[in-house]
Amino acid sequence: MINKLKQKLLSDFNDIQVNIPEDNRMIVNTKKESLLSLLSYLKNMGFNHFAMLSCVDWIDENEFELIYILSAYPENDEQYQDIEKKNIILKTRISREKAKFITIIDIFENAEPYEREIHEMFGIHFEGHPRLTPLMLERDYKIPPFRKDFDTNKYVENTFGKVPSIKERKEGKK
Amino acid sequence: MDRNKISKWLKNPGKMANKYSFHVVYFCTGCGIIEIPPSITTRWDAERFGIIPVATPRQANLFLITGYVSTKTLAAIIRTYEQMPEPKYTVAFGSCPINGGMYYDSYNTITSLDKYIPVDGYIAGCMPRPEAIFIGVTHLWKLIDMDKADGYKRYREDYVHYRANQEQILGELDWPPLFSKENL
Amino acid sequence: MNIISLIISILLALITGMFFLGISRKIMARIQWRYGPPITQPLIDVIRSFSQMGISHGKLFDFGIILSFTGSIVLILFLPIGNLCALTSGGLLAVLYLMLLTPFGIALSAAASANPVSSIGISRQFLLSFAYELPLLLILLAVMTHYHTISLVEIVNIQANSGWAFGSWALVLSGIAYVLILPAILGVRPFEVAGAVQEISSGPIAEFSGKHLAFVTLQHALHTFAALALFVDVFLGGWTLFGLLNPISGTIWGVLLGIIIFLIKMLIVLVLGIFVNAVFPRFRIEQAMKYLWKWPTLISFIGLIIVMLVN
Repeated sequence: MINKLKQKLLSDFNDIQVNIPEDNRMIVNTKKESLLSLLSYLKNMGFNHFAMLSCVDWIDENEFELIYILSAYPENDEQYQDIEKKNIILKTRISREKAKFITIIDIFENAEPYEREIHEMFGIHFEGHPRLTPLMLERDYKIPPFRKDFDTNKYVENTFGKVPSIKERKEGKK
Repeated sequence: MDRNKISKWLKNPGKMANKYSFHVVYFCTGCGIIEIPPSITTRWDAERFGIIPVATPRQANLFLITGYVSTKTLAAIIRTYEQMPEPKYTVAFGSCPINGGMYYDSYNTITSLDKYIPVDGYIAGCMPRPEAIFIGVTHLWKLIDMDKADGYKRYREDYVHYRANQEQILGELDWPPLFSKENL
Repeated sequence: MNIISLIISILLALITGMFFLGISRKIMARIQWRYGPPITQPLIDVIRSFSQMGISHGKLFDFGIILSFTGSIVLILFLPIGNLCALTSGGLLAVLYLMLLTPFGIALSAAASANPVSSIGISRQFLLSFAYELPLLLILLAVMTHYHTISLVEIVNIQANSGWAFGSWALVLSGIAYVLILPAILGVRPFEVAGAVQEISSGPIAEFSGKHLAFVTLQHALHTFAALALFVDVFLGGWTLFGLLNPISGTIWGVLLGIIIFLIKMLIVLVLGIFVNAVFPRFRIEQAMKYLWKWPTLISFIGLIIVMLVN
């Protein structure tokens, strides 16, 4: 069943690579220009559940890798016993200096908080997103915190370590 | 435990009653909240010491901070602490309020709680077992006997410095100062 | 005689009420297989609340709790405790009127504290009072019709000679209905809707601290005492024990023994109420109102008809 899907994908798109590590999981590497068409193609084939959006920071290769995970719900209860859950993992790469991509809200509406979190933590700008405001953090960081060149020890020393204890403040005033 | 010594009650009833009736604010922060329900339910019964959780900080006199404190939680902790009536005591659980603990290099958690609100005692562990919680409470009784558990007095005297520390981390605070020059 | 019985009534009600609260916490703990606080724990809580420096939300806030506390004290004075009754005129009608002064006082304080959970809690308290007042009125009407009097002292004395009201054929249905609404008057589970700690942050008393919290605890003790004393006086014969104590009823020994028997009866009713409290969950307010207006009302109505047919 998965192999038939793999043949179909390889025949319809011409610059992707597909490999199947386990029985119900398929990893598709693609270029960023054909990602949206691939997503809508897969959605029409029945993979209409957008599970997650994640990101990896390849700092040595100067690229971000965005990872989209789709899965399929069985159509009715009889199918639930027969098929196992299938996951399709899509991976693309975008450049690190100009971290911009396009939003997939037109295809899957529930991608909005995931893209907001990735914008806040990695600094990737998604064009077309209606609300790219911070989701969890309250302070301003010069470098977004999840990037690999964000030095956590130095940040803690400069903000939380610089707060004096009450005894030091009292002696300082005197 | 000297709860049965009537002579001590007659000498200083306020201090003895503050010791043996700890009402805990049920403020659930961080990982340590998983250790509070076992210590107040049947197996490690905390009610025999007089400890019972209450719903609002207005009725409480013990504040347990159970785990790491992020900056958002710090704002809530300060507002809750300022609503409690005096005399009040604070006990910090785990190693995160002491020096940052497991999250010593996190971009969002504070490293030492004593700089923002006064802490009377620490219970080390990650997380401490309920038996350790009870040993901490009995040690707090000894501190109250010796008049050393005076966190609330320190907060009142040095409020200017505490507020300066809070503003350094949280930016502009949107609640007015608790103690001003008039009602100090 | 009157001043002494007044002071003794108030002191006895306060101290015994606090011990009843402590006993209820201890029994709850033992049912749940743990040890539990000492019996004097509510007293320690009250002393601790008095020693704290709470805040006040204004003059109406202070006035409301004092109104509720004095309402409970005046209610105690109208109930015969053992052989003593400080205020003998008024009887059941005065008791029915004064029972609603307590939640009214707390409602004033809760309104002055401007907390939304306080207003939810106090609306639930009023709805619950509204719900249990209807069967309570029918029950007390049946008792008043059967004994041809409204004075509580006379009701107790009649039961000394002719047996407990719970055992007489005419009033047994009213007694059963009173047992069904007793948890609602006491404020224990399944009718603990007003002061629910987990749901609405302890309801009306969410903003009470320091002295106000101490007065609320004392008032809760007095309210428990008053609810139990009313039941024992009207249905279980007060201080009398089937007429065995009639020879010594005027002497000091009779008074002491009468008070002790009265307190023992109240303790037994309290323990039964705690057993119900330990195993039941909490009703929602509309479930509580539906229940209180269905079965206890029906049973007390039939009891009232039986009493009217007998007389």
